[in-house]
Amino acid sequence: MFYAQLAVNGLVQGLVVGLGALALTLVFGIARFPNAATGDTMTFGAYAALTVHKASGSLALGSIAAIGGAAVLALLAYLTVFKRLAGRSVVSLLVASIGIGFMIRAGLGVAFGHQQQVFNVPLSRPIRVAGLAINPLDLQLAAVAAVALAAVFAILYLTPIGRQMRAVADNRDLARVSGIRPERVMTAMWLITGGVSAVGGMMLGIKTIVSPEVGWEMLLPVFAATILGGIGSPVGAVVAGLVLGVAQEVSTPFVGFTYKIALSFVVLLAVLLVRPRGLFGRIEGVR
Amino acid sequence: MDAYLAAIAIIALIYMLLSLGLTLQYGLTGLINFGHVGFFAIGAYTSALLSLQGLPLALTIPAAAVTAGLAAWPIGLISLRLRDDYFAIVTLGFSETVRLVITSEKWLTNGVQGIPGIPRLFETISVGIGAQLAVMGVILAVTLVAIYAMRRIVASPFGRVIEAIRDNEEALQALGKDPAGFKIQVLILGSALAGIAGAFYAHYITYIVPDQFIPLVTFYVWMAIIIGGVGRVSGAIVGTGLLMLFLEGSRFLRDIVPGVSEVEMASLRIGVVGLLLVLFTIYRPQGLMGDFTKR
Repeated sequence: MFYAQLAVNGLVQGLVVGLGALALTLVFGIARFPNAATGDTMTFGAYAALTVHKASGSLALGSIAAIGGAAVLALLAYLTVFKRLAGRSVVSLLVASIGIGFMIRAGLGVAFGHQQQVFNVPLSRPIRVAGLAINPLDLQLAAVAAVALAAVFAILYLTPIGRQMRAVADNRDLARVSGIRPERVMTAMWLITGGVSAVGGMMLGIKTIVSPEVGWEMLLPVFAATILGGIGSPVGAVVAGLVLGVAQEVSTPFVGFTYKIALSFVVLLAVLLVRPRGLFGRIEGVR
Repeated sequence: MDAYLAAIAIIALIYMLLSLGLTLQYGLTGLINFGHVGFFAIGAYTSALLSLQGLPLALTIPAAAVTAGLAAWPIGLISLRLRDDYFAIVTLGFSETVRLVITSEKWLTNGVQGIPGIPRLFETISVGIGAQLAVMGVILAVTLVAIYAMRRIVASPFGRVIEAIRDNEEALQALGKDPAGFKIQVLILGSALAGIAGAFYAHYITYIVPDQFIPLVTFYVWMAIIIGGVGRVSGAIVGTGLLMLFLEGSRFLRDIVPGVSEVEMASLRIGVVGLLLVLFTIYRPQGLMGDFTKR
């Protein structure tokens, strides 16, 4: 029962990791580079939500501001930097994404300071379901994540632009000769990526704290989940995120509080060595 | 003032050793090591802990090089099987894991409280400027040896092979060379250099805590070699000089411009590092001293 409780606690954390991994995997699959600014985009979402929540008292408004703001931010990063680096080596894009992440973090640090901030959400009594204590806040957050994920998957699998995105992920050259305009696909992809990151960041901020470093510190679990799920696989990213979140919580009694983060590193290594395609990967194998 | 200049020179030389290690790994061989600070930390803690056990620094500093090099070995074995960008992620994860371990294993590293009272080099000489200059002399000598060795490497058959790994690994394999072995050697060598840098750092600062070994340090070094010019020994030297100018200059700037707190300055510093990484990647990928015959 104890472990079941831990697993339940890990689910929300897992959704945060899963959302980050979804953002990362979309960029990895479509623009073909690991976007190290993903974590800092999450932080940006957390601060945007926090600011609007403080001003208006509404989490719904906060999340809209976070999603919109981070989507614009991600698009800006694409238009000003990543677009110019198209066709360059992966290293160039990776280094540039680190640079962008640093700039976002610096901006947030100057604007909001370095002290930790928290969302003022009312405390509520946990609901007891079959002996498990479930926090109503967690349920709300899970619902928000579910809506966000449903929206992303609906766009990916039900709309023409989603089909085009998947086509580019599958085979960029083939997509191009089929008349798919890369520009439009990239724009849509970066907007979605920013929005998804923001939801993850906001959830992270509500569950823990908000500081300029929170997102960057999520980068390792997010990378691990992306690779565990298989590069470029949206479903894989979310499932792997949940698996990793639950595994982190369940492992805590054995490895202690600090080492649960190192679990991501172990998972990352194990997947890369044993099954580089990840659980659901098929688009891109690793040498 | 003299003491201040000597202090800057010592820190600059330590960064220079780090830059040389990364130049060997990334600049010459193309290994994207995002975990340089992990090996720096291993070197610092190894030498600090051994010297506090009473071992002479003449033994502990080489020991730092050996442990940092050995730590790179398994990472190298893994790197053989991975694509470049995955290697970057793995090494970044490695350095964060190193930091977690030194934060958590209090029995060994004293956790976040850190290790105080690490012996200095030349403790027998009085604390004044003489000791500073002696320390600087030793690090300078090591750096010059490293620079000389790097120049020899670039000119050697080994150097040609590792540059070929960077430029076209498949072609090299087709010529019957085994890139794997070379990559591991390069990784171990560069990490050993970072380990030595870490040892000098620990014995100079005399107090180390896990927070000194954050990934930002890695990217300071990346910034230095990207600005200076990737793949050039001269680039590492020029880049490190500019990095120090930037790090120290930003400290003075705070004295001149009022109303900027230390925390804000730290943020601004990160922002400038980010901006420079982006601008150089877009507009001048060869860096200032780069090889303009190729892109």
